[in-house]
Amino acid sequence: MSEELTFWEKLARIDRRVFYWILFIGLMVPFIRPLGLAITVSPSTRDLYEELRRVQPGDVCLINIAFGVSAWPECMPATAACTKLLIRQGAKLIIIGPYYDVDLSYEELKRRCAEDFAKLKYGEDYVYLGFYAGGEAVVAQLASDFRSVFPTDAYGTPLDELPMMKNINKATDIRLVLSSDTGDWCSYYIRQWRIPYGVPLAEIGIAMLGSEYMPHYRAGILFGMSVGVRGGAELEKLIGEPADATIRMDAINISHILVIIAVLLGNIGYFASRGKRR
Amino acid sequence: MSEVLRREVVYLITAITTIIMFVEFFFIGTWSAAEELRTWAIIIANIALGLGAVRLLAEHVRNIQRRRAGVWPFSIWLIILFVVMFLSGLTGYAAKHDPSSNPVYNWLFKWPYTSLGQTLYAITGFYIFSAAYRAFRARNIDAALLLIAGCFVILTNATVGEVIWSGIPVIGRWFLDYGQVPGMRCFLIVAAFGMLAYGFRALLGRERGFYGEVAGE
Amino acid sequence: MVKREEENMAIIVEGRGMALVILVLSYILFYVFMYLGRKGREIPVRTLPPMAAIPEGIGRAAEMGRPVMFTPGIAGDLNDPTQGPQVLAAISILGYIARECAKTGVKLDVFMPIPTALPLTEETLRTAYMAEGKPEEFSPDMIHFIAEQSPYLTAVLGYFQRERPATNFLIGGFYYESVVMGEAGNAIGAFQIGGTANIHQMPFLVATCDYMLLAEELYAAGASISKDPDILGCLRGEDIMKFILVALMIIGFLLGFARVDILVKALGW
Repeated sequence: MSEELTFWEKLARIDRRVFYWILFIGLMVPFIRPLGLAITVSPSTRDLYEELRRVQPGDVCLINIAFGVSAWPECMPATAACTKLLIRQGAKLIIIGPYYDVDLSYEELKRRCAEDFAKLKYGEDYVYLGFYAGGEAVVAQLASDFRSVFPTDAYGTPLDELPMMKNINKATDIRLVLSSDTGDWCSYYIRQWRIPYGVPLAEIGIAMLGSEYMPHYRAGILFGMSVGVRGGAELEKLIGEPADATIRMDAINISHILVIIAVLLGNIGYFASRGKRR
Repeated sequence: MSEVLRREVVYLITAITTIIMFVEFFFIGTWSAAEELRTWAIIIANIALGLGAVRLLAEHVRNIQRRRAGVWPFSIWLIILFVVMFLSGLTGYAAKHDPSSNPVYNWLFKWPYTSLGQTLYAITGFYIFSAAYRAFRARNIDAALLLIAGCFVILTNATVGEVIWSGIPVIGRWFLDYGQVPGMRCFLIVAAFGMLAYGFRALLGRERGFYGEVAGE
Repeated sequence: MVKREEENMAIIVEGRGMALVILVLSYILFYVFMYLGRKGREIPVRTLPPMAAIPEGIGRAAEMGRPVMFTPGIAGDLNDPTQGPQVLAAISILGYIARECAKTGVKLDVFMPIPTALPLTEETLRTAYMAEGKPEEFSPDMIHFIAEQSPYLTAVLGYFQRERPATNFLIGGFYYESVVMGEAGNAIGAFQIGGTANIHQMPFLVATCDYMLLAEELYAAGASISKDPDILGCLRGEDIMKFILVALMIIGFLLGFARVDILVKALGW
């Protein structure tokens, strides 16, 4: 015969499906009634913003879109905000990506920064080189010889025929790198670009990468960092254009509060039932 | 080629490659061999993509041939989609040097693929939620400290923390800067040494797992 | 080919001198202790609980008449310097798991999403079953190749629901699939052993698995079982290097107080 569970024991063993429903319903709240809480800017995001503001017209910047479509909600807002800022600073952009759905991400980035891209001319102000495979080896090779990795852009035009790329072939020709990723790509750029050639580097990552790259930021290896949706919302605030990430911060707030409540309930149940067993 | 000789050749290639990369990294000079090797690595990586596709097809053709229970109808579906995706991308590239110029390719990527990918990634939030509830128990003093620090960091990452109390982000950032960063540095250093030792054994041909031999023999 | 710019007549690239010294010192220490280990010098090593738990997990599967699942995660290719060694270390452990499965007659299912690791995985399993005198029990169908993260994850979740494996081994280089698989495995009541050196995934595996190989332990796991003098020798070398680094940190800390930057300059050599 199974033993009847007390209230406290039940509290410590709530079925996971209950939480899934609570979270599902909780995440709908901001759609019905947005919370619109104030967003303060963290130091790592501010440093990222400040360095981008120092970019001079004509500086060539590399944007590495190292996230797939699944990470758009987390990475795209910050990437879009930084791209807008760079374009407004007069920077020239090289856009590449190691995920095979990078074409989609590039199109989405252009869509989100449509007004800014409309002022630019392809080949002179920005180029899209597309997908590259090969992990860290290819990042190392890019640092020493762009053309051996990308003889042409994503549309088959030789790099030498693109005016912007005439004198660009190695890491030291690049003003800074923005690595926007869900994994290790920033580490590759740290090891192959930042350390050997001193190219300034910043990370735009999903929230779980915040802890991994914080030591690099604190050591001065990364000049800035945007962490998850929060980083995106902070950048949107800094450039004065609230967008997707600002809206999503409500969902982040609700989900985080629910996690805290769930953890507290679990612990209350755990301690109360433990005391009872004694 | 005998098995022993084959193994020795692999050891030798590994050692020579490692030494070339090692010298290029540390010593000044025009070490074009390392650049050549990296170009090879890129070529091999691209071949691996093709290898993956071939292997995928081979496995699913085998499933269909053997009528593997519960799997073979999906294998047919996979092959159909594979062919559609491949041909539509190829025709798009042939027409405008851009696979997405083909509307079929574009539609498949843009709508089903994007939505499915984002949905699957989003379920992570649900799993983290239930895992946090189950695992974050103050069973001892260490776990209690972790729990307290975790709560501050969670509330720091969400803007609601500073609405509750302005001190929360201050404490949360203190945990991040002075608790988490040194801890992460420790993990980085020990993992690097582990990798260094693993690489050294592979370099000497003494890491049997590296060469497909079974550990523990 | 683009040539590295030479700034002066130095032989070593600026800023990498000390890294070279540390690397060479590490290699010397590894080699010396590997040599001593082979000569019979005993190098004590604690048994890693996750490795000791492997037979327990497989025994559980045998008792329940359910399969065992192994997957190394999708984080990287073999040529990836961060993820590759993790996958290779995981395949080493897979060899041991396969031998235990062969011994007890437990069905083993391997979900391998990395195309370059497929031949090695197949070879490792074949060798393991041969080593146990049961080559006929090995079949390439034990290895399920599913490319790309989302399909791979979906396939594993479906497998969990259909086959309900008794034990899951989530060992290797993981990305976000770690928490999904870990929690889904937990939901079906599977006994789980995790392992990764990916810092961003460690908390998830710690929260969802019964045992966990953390960072360096992943690479040293083999030594815990085989007592291989080469691995044990390297472990001893690693420990000594860690002591040296800790000593450097303390000295650097004290010199920093005294505003002496000799060590900082030396490290930047």
